[in-house]
Amino acid sequence: MTTPAIDTTALTRRFGDFIAVDNVNLRVEAGQFFGFLGPNGAGKSTTIKMLTGLLAPTSGSIRILGGDLQANSAEIKRQIGVVPEGLALFGRLTADEYLQFVGRMYGLDRATTLSRTRELLEFMQLAGEQKKLITDFSHGMQKKLALAAAVIHGPKVLFLDEPFEGVDAVAAGTLKAMLLRMISRGVTIFLTSHVLEIVERLCTHIAIIHRGRLVAQGSLDELRAGAARIAQAGIQEGGAPPSEEKRSLEQIFLEIVGADREGNPAATAPEQELSWLS
Amino acid sequence: MAELTGPQSGPGSMPPIPASVQLLAVAWLRWRIFVNGMNRKRPKGTRQVAGVVFAILLRLIVWPMLATLVVAPVAGSGFFAWMAISHGHPQRLASLLLGITLLWQFVSINGLSIAATIQSFDPASLVRFPLRFGRYFVLRSLLGLMTPSTIVGCLALLAAAVGICVADASLALPALVVMAVYALMNIYLTRMIGAWMDRWLANRRFREIFSMLMALFAVSIQFLNLHRISTRAPGVRTSWLLNVLHSSGSYLYWLPSGFAAQTILLAKHPLAASVQFAGLLASTALFAAVFAIRLHKQFLGEYLSEGVSRRAQAPSAPRVKAPEPQFAARSASVASGGILSPVVAACLRKEWLILTSNGTQLIGLLTPLIFVVIFSMNRAFSSFSSKYFLPAAIAYVLIAAVSSLYNIFGADGSGVQLYLLAPVRMLDVVLAKNLMSLAIIIVQVTVAWTIICMLARTPIPVSAQISTVFWTIFVVALNLSIGTLRSIQAPRKFVPGQSRSPRGATPTNRTSSLLVLGVLFGTMLLQVPIGYASSYFGVPWLAAWIFGPLAVAAVFAYAFMLRNAERLILAARDVFAEELCKA
Repeated sequence: MTTPAIDTTALTRRFGDFIAVDNVNLRVEAGQFFGFLGPNGAGKSTTIKMLTGLLAPTSGSIRILGGDLQANSAEIKRQIGVVPEGLALFGRLTADEYLQFVGRMYGLDRATTLSRTRELLEFMQLAGEQKKLITDFSHGMQKKLALAAAVIHGPKVLFLDEPFEGVDAVAAGTLKAMLLRMISRGVTIFLTSHVLEIVERLCTHIAIIHRGRLVAQGSLDELRAGAARIAQAGIQEGGAPPSEEKRSLEQIFLEIVGADREGNPAATAPEQELSWLS
Repeated sequence: MAELTGPQSGPGSMPPIPASVQLLAVAWLRWRIFVNGMNRKRPKGTRQVAGVVFAILLRLIVWPMLATLVVAPVAGSGFFAWMAISHGHPQRLASLLLGITLLWQFVSINGLSIAATIQSFDPASLVRFPLRFGRYFVLRSLLGLMTPSTIVGCLALLAAAVGICVADASLALPALVVMAVYALMNIYLTRMIGAWMDRWLANRRFREIFSMLMALFAVSIQFLNLHRISTRAPGVRTSWLLNVLHSSGSYLYWLPSGFAAQTILLAKHPLAASVQFAGLLASTALFAAVFAIRLHKQFLGEYLSEGVSRRAQAPSAPRVKAPEPQFAARSASVASGGILSPVVAACLRKEWLILTSNGTQLIGLLTPLIFVVIFSMNRAFSSFSSKYFLPAAIAYVLIAAVSSLYNIFGADGSGVQLYLLAPVRMLDVVLAKNLMSLAIIIVQVTVAWTIICMLARTPIPVSAQISTVFWTIFVVALNLSIGTLRSIQAPRKFVPGQSRSPRGATPTNRTSSLLVLGVLFGTMLLQVPIGYASSYFGVPWLAAWIFGPLAVAAVFAYAFMLRNAERLILAARDVFAEELCKA
């Protein structure tokens, strides 16, 4: 049995009385392109912060590449790359300076840092902007730079929090090409995104978190089967039967988390609501 | 597209990262941030001239002040230390060291809020890199050493050591060693306080309480009279401060300042000096340990934002918040044909909600009034003729309120897009913002006026009151006109006092600062020659005759500006998008 890249046991995070992440058991095998989905406020970013050592869990354990994150955080952080939610770039540096700084912090020697900086800036089409301050970059350019910084040290596990948000189609194509290349070289990628088409196209395995709890985990086919069982239970209670064709991730996602407390799917709001909309 | 050829690092075969590499990388990062902060875009044309004028004015004002702030405590410490040893009052050395510590810490704590607004680098963000805790601790101890409080504090301690050396050369070595350790103790004390303050200040309520405490401190210190003479013993005149120092001397020996002073004074008795020195080292270690505890929490990952915990308090089921009854009723009446148009009423309501939810701003509005009370109660001011005191106090109250008129859109940020997109006249938006500012000014001036009239020892002449009314209308209307125009030309948020900070030092902000200074103080100082001429020629109504027409002219100027505001804002839409709406 191989060591999983990410393995959490009963991972929980509370903020006062509020349980943001509740007893999550997550297992991501090495080399998987793993999509982590959930509605707004479900606990995705909190989970990713805990997995990258930026937020301490209230209880539970996290093992990354077989090592305990709390006990060996420096060693594990060296093997992971992160594109966090807020990007966390140093705005008063140029792209070139920022990548050099990150490379040195991850222990790369000067020559390697310089050559990788040059390669990454060219690959991300930022080479012409390398003397501009990061604070003057557009959001898409900052995203590309954050990704470049996350991979400069050749991480084994890459965490991406909404990497395609605010990125144009050309830049998104560049990012996807890079991610697929990393997967082909055995890197594990843990991705959160609201763009379900991208997740469906890229990810081999998916987990869905809802109100802090992990409600589904597996390959897309396994999720389809799980969603079908939920729908079947719905028919027995008087719901509509599921369509026979292969359902998209969006449909599966809505079936799993889209229902409100009364069981009405969010997408089919009652007619009388917002009746003033023309 | 370029190809990436870099090899993958193997997880198991990685040698440890040398500490020097990471420490140097962070030092380089700070250096580059500093250098890039210096390389600002150079303005052209009139903006360049305005920038140069502003820079010269600022240097003329700020440099002598800074020099005094540095030279005074440093020279004073050296002299006091020399005097304590050479004049046979060694026990005063502990008081001196305590004084240096108090000043050092006080300046540092005050600097926290300023640093939070101008810092372009948060040292806590380093936790995402593969650092061991020891290195993180060293980095956090070293980062920020070049702050004014640390520099002045260290120089003052060095001067004290020199003063001791001059008084008694045999104490040179212990004095230098002890002062070095004492400086380290102060650095860790500052770090400890700063780290815990960061933790507490993450809570909005605490921030407001803290601001209030600082304001109260600033107010209460006005009542402290260092020259008040104690008359406990007949025929003996001593300052109460010296009495306090004498009576607290024995307690000071249990503080780090006491340990440090005793170590130097007992240098000829090695055992006793060692015990005292151990006390100083222990207190340094204690502060470093408490600082480390806080850092360790940060290092393991902690969440300081209030967002989630607030969400936790909210009920899970969605509900529609009922409008506040008073405001709802008022809005309804307005919408159904009241004095104000629905747009102006809605904008006013928004400004009101923002004002009432911002405790710091409310304290800022209250503070000048508290100072007016203090000034009015002070004997030195009360002996000053009330016909001069009234306009001076009103001018003081107006400084803060009027300077905010120069940046009416800044606080809206990208939210200003709503005004540009919605089917509203920008004139209404400007009017609502000006009305809110005007309401605040009227309330502040009325309260200050009432306080002065109540506390004045002699009745204020009617001529002085009328001229002050005209002058106030003139100042407010003129600043409203120029301030609104400037807000349209340069809508980005700026704080006049921060135009030298790395983030605030743009040519536009400098020009705005210069304009605020020029118009504000120009209109304020106009009172002086007119008041003087009025007294000189014995014409009490002269000021009223001059300020009356000026007030009317300023009101007309404001009306003219308002008529053109819509056109000006629409013409400046690009500026709004560039300065406020950039992602």
